[in-house]
Amino acid sequence: MKGKRRTLSAWFSQAPVLLIIALIVVFPIGYTAYISLTNMNVYHWFDFQIIGLGNYLKALAVFDSGFLGALLITLLWTAVNMVLQLVIAFIMASLLNIQKLKARRVYKTVLMFPWAMPGYVSILLWKNGIFNSSFGLLNQWLEKLHLAPMRWLAGDVSAFIACLVVNLWLALPFMIMIMDGALQSVDKSYYENAILDGAGWFTRSVRLTIPAIRPIIAPAVVITLFTTFKQFDVIYLLTQQVGAKTGANIHTVLTYAYENAFVTNNYGYSSAISMIIFFFLIAFVTLSNLKRKEKKA
Amino acid sequence: MRKIWERIGLIFLNLFFIAACFIALVPILYAFSVSLNAEGSILGSDFSFIPRQLTLENYRAVIMDQPVLLWLGNTLILAVVSVFISLLISVPAAYSLSRFRFKGRKQVLRFLVLLHSFPAILSMFALYKLLSPLGLINSKLGLILIYIGTMAIFGVLNLKGYFDSVPVEIEEAAAIDGAGALQTVLRILLPLAKPALIVTALMVLIFVWNEYIYAITFLTGAQNYTLAAGLYSLQATEMRGSWPLFAAAAILVSLPILIIFFLTQKHMRSGLTAGGVKG
Repeated sequence: MKGKRRTLSAWFSQAPVLLIIALIVVFPIGYTAYISLTNMNVYHWFDFQIIGLGNYLKALAVFDSGFLGALLITLLWTAVNMVLQLVIAFIMASLLNIQKLKARRVYKTVLMFPWAMPGYVSILLWKNGIFNSSFGLLNQWLEKLHLAPMRWLAGDVSAFIACLVVNLWLALPFMIMIMDGALQSVDKSYYENAILDGAGWFTRSVRLTIPAIRPIIAPAVVITLFTTFKQFDVIYLLTQQVGAKTGANIHTVLTYAYENAFVTNNYGYSSAISMIIFFFLIAFVTLSNLKRKEKKA
Repeated sequence: MRKIWERIGLIFLNLFFIAACFIALVPILYAFSVSLNAEGSILGSDFSFIPRQLTLENYRAVIMDQPVLLWLGNTLILAVVSVFISLLISVPAAYSLSRFRFKGRKQVLRFLVLLHSFPAILSMFALYKLLSPLGLINSKLGLILIYIGTMAIFGVLNLKGYFDSVPVEIEEAAAIDGAGALQTVLRILLPLAKPALIVTALMVLIFVWNEYIYAITFLTGAQNYTLAAGLYSLQATEMRGSWPLFAAAAILVSLPILIIFFLTQKHMRSGLTAGGVKG
């Protein structure tokens, strides 16, 4: 009897939050799943019909439809970002931990600024201030060197690199902070033998430091992996704002789904893509949870 | 000899970090100096980071000529209501998930983690379809519902994680002393969980402050905009030369968030649980 009452009161205290999650999170997923099976688009806004798995087939089996290309770019984007972030953050954090560096605190505070700024503001400042072709800082510098100005965000490759730079700028402070914290938790006496053995910085890093900090940074790395894969703001705000496209045609899966829903109004197709992304992410989550459990066991 | 090399190395190290700091600040510095520059032509190639002639005209223009104060008001209403309701509904749920062992608890937790991976932006179309027949498009209530719902899973999981780290024995002792369940939570647990409450509230606040895509899609009419939507609409395009104005607005909008960030940096570490549910 008591157990039942307890269950009841537990559910009762969760009811409001679960209700709003059902409304704002679960309903959209369910509705998206339903629409993904239909041909809803501009021409069939009210009179759409169920067409089965056609949208999924179009996304996964027809390369020209663009989804597989966007998926490849997203994977490339995620991989390049993660590698660069981990390497640069590790080097920066290691340098910050050199004993004789007196101004460490000042540097650390200043380096946190990109993290502290509202993300979309920073991205817009990069777009309008640095990459703008008429008054952007980069082109002003080029002009000083008597070089022709560039349209940084117009070409696919240069736009990809621009997005990469901005994303690194945004994400590195968090990673540096995590690495710095992890490095400080490594026992210093650990190194003494290695130094006596004459191991250089590189050998020490690979043999000792990295294995020691790996479990500490793992959760943050997994979180960053997800945010990078799901990155929308950087690519959208830099190159694809509605009415202000820059000409570059790089799509990650998220901007691709967004464009198909809100620009070309292919709701059925866009919903199918949303569901595929969701399955991907669920697989990711399940996999990373399994790994964590394995380690605990 | 070794000392000299060490000193040279240290100089290079400092130069490296000064360069890194410059890169970290460059968009902000550029915007800041442009916003204060009195010389109309910033298009010349002789731009310098220190304005030769200072002016606050751009700031005056942003505040007086643009509905920025209206946007600030809208943002504050959305933020305060969202933070308040988020905490009000997340705390009891997190508490029962942390303290009670009931049927379905594990499933709820697993379900929340899976749902959390769905990118909010992909829900936009369905939410439009849901809210539009209810008359909640272009309304504050509609956006508040979206913001609360989007941050609810984070709130519950983050608070639950922190509650887990507070020993149950403290509450049991209070119960033996005759305190009721509600009293125990209000008087004992919540004060102990203050860092997590502050962080959860801040994350919701920052989320609402920075959210632009739902705001520009669901709100019409400049007087209804939030700061983020307004700033988005003020952008200088390649053609229009409103860049100094936009720079001033960007600095103004960022300032409160910068202050909050640096004031609460210490709390952030202890209030976000180790497992992490961000992203």
